[in-house]
Amino acid sequence: MSEQPAARPIAVDVRGLGIHYDLRLTRRTTIKGSLVGLLRRNRNAPTHFWALRHLDLKMYHGEAIGLIGPNGAGKSTLLLALAGILEPSEGTIAIDGRVSTLLTLGAGFDQELTGRDNITLAGAFLAIEHDEMDRLTPSIIEFADIGAFIDAPVKTYSMGMKARLGFSIATAITPDILLLDEVLGTGDQVFRTRSQARVRELINRARVVVLVTHDLSYVTEFCGRAILMEKGQIIHDGDPAETVDLYRRRVRESKLLAEVDAERFAKPPAPKPAAQ
Amino acid sequence: MATLSEPAAGTHLTPPSRRGPIRLTRDGFGEITGRWRLVRYLVAADLKRTHADTALGQAWWLLDPILQMLVYYFLFAVIFQRKTEDFLLFLFAAILPWKWFSTTVNAAMNSVVGRQGLIRQVQFPKIVLPTAATVAETFSFAIGLIALAILFIPYHERLSIWVLTIPLIAAVQLVFSLAVAIVLAAANAFYRDVANVMGHLLRLLFYVSPALYALWEVPNEDLQKLMMLNPFTILLTAYRTVTWGTETVDHGTRPDFLALGILLAVSMILVVLAVALFKRVEPAFARIL
Repeated sequence: MSEQPAARPIAVDVRGLGIHYDLRLTRRTTIKGSLVGLLRRNRNAPTHFWALRHLDLKMYHGEAIGLIGPNGAGKSTLLLALAGILEPSEGTIAIDGRVSTLLTLGAGFDQELTGRDNITLAGAFLAIEHDEMDRLTPSIIEFADIGAFIDAPVKTYSMGMKARLGFSIATAITPDILLLDEVLGTGDQVFRTRSQARVRELINRARVVVLVTHDLSYVTEFCGRAILMEKGQIIHDGDPAETVDLYRRRVRESKLLAEVDAERFAKPPAPKPAAQ
Repeated sequence: MATLSEPAAGTHLTPPSRRGPIRLTRDGFGEITGRWRLVRYLVAADLKRTHADTALGQAWWLLDPILQMLVYYFLFAVIFQRKTEDFLLFLFAAILPWKWFSTTVNAAMNSVVGRQGLIRQVQFPKIVLPTAATVAETFSFAIGLIALAILFIPYHERLSIWVLTIPLIAAVQLVFSLAVAIVLAAANAFYRDVANVMGHLLRLLFYVSPALYALWEVPNEDLQKLMMLNPFTILLTAYRTVTWGTETVDHGTRPDFLALGILLAVSMILVVLAVALFKRVEPAFARIL
């Protein structure tokens, strides 16, 4: 759908983005662990892990972009960075407009509060004006469609109900930049159909949509551009069908490689360790 | 091509340019005041949640401090045969504000860790979390003051105009508590051991503070001076002085305003440092939680 993207205004401009995690802090969460770590510190052990490095990416108005790749490729980290939840360790991100929140559906709910209270609280966390929130609340409740449970504590909800309420809140406002992380497959069949219709609607209204998913059919169906990531790098960026094909090929190849490796290591007296 | 080089207007996310402590502090206070509605909702949520599952509900706001006082009363007045006059008032004047502090510390330590799901989902200033925890506990302290007022019915001869200075003393404690709350909320996000250690530290601090006894009862004068370095010696003594009285005065009287003033000044500096520290480590929360 975007033949000449350069002619459109830039909505997201990522330059030289790098994000690293400090393994010393993420691995051990106790003081004891850190002290033990200090005592027998392996000087060669990596202390940092770059989830993304040297990433350059431009997104243009009107684009719906699918982000695919194996687990640990850095897709979700990129979304977290675009949402402003993770600060870049190096490089810059410039964004034109309001970015939506990420939704790992319902993970942020306050279990003791009712669904209605959680809607109000979510509005305050998202910095939505009080009046706007008052206006949105009835439609959020209607879309979530969980009946009288809306006034019961969230801890009494089923997983599906939490997911529906989470989806309903997160998609109630139309952001300029919409970030979606594995959200299209939630709930029962009826809700799935309705939520897909809503995502379609949002894609039409938002300036830019970034969709992370393992379901490759969504990429070819919803997106006009697809990006394949591996190990924190962009491997391919272009036509969705082409990118999906490339990804499928690479998955097959790495599976083959893994089988070859498994065979090689299955024989114990290997003459030489495989040099990389 | 002109559009390509044009910098996009709106949000710019850059690596944490080593912002100075003054800038960090200003940002932090700006976030607290700028997102006051969020703080208010969080406080309301906290208050709603507390005792929500209990049969007696809101009555626990009053029952909690009263029962705690009765336990200590039983221990000291009945078992140890302590002869302090109007001992219930003597105890309650100190235990009520102490309970406020200890619950604030515990709520603050959970404030960031307890919202980890949200922190990885939504971008918002995390400093509102310990702030809201501190404000919410202030409400329960205020309700506890009703119990104190009831206690003055039997002990009305000790009542004086100085009881009106309780909000001033509480304000000093609030500033001090806020500093502690902000630091511990951040520390506990990195090391969960902090909560375990603090459980014991709080108990120690309680016993070295004049809550179950008065400062003048401490036999060693050097030790008394040393104890004045403890903020809760100043605070608890002040609460007791304006309600119960002192060793020589058997009704509420003038507290040590100089000590309170010094504590207030120190606490304000501590809050500034705490906010700067919190803002400094805040970007790491989403990575480590």
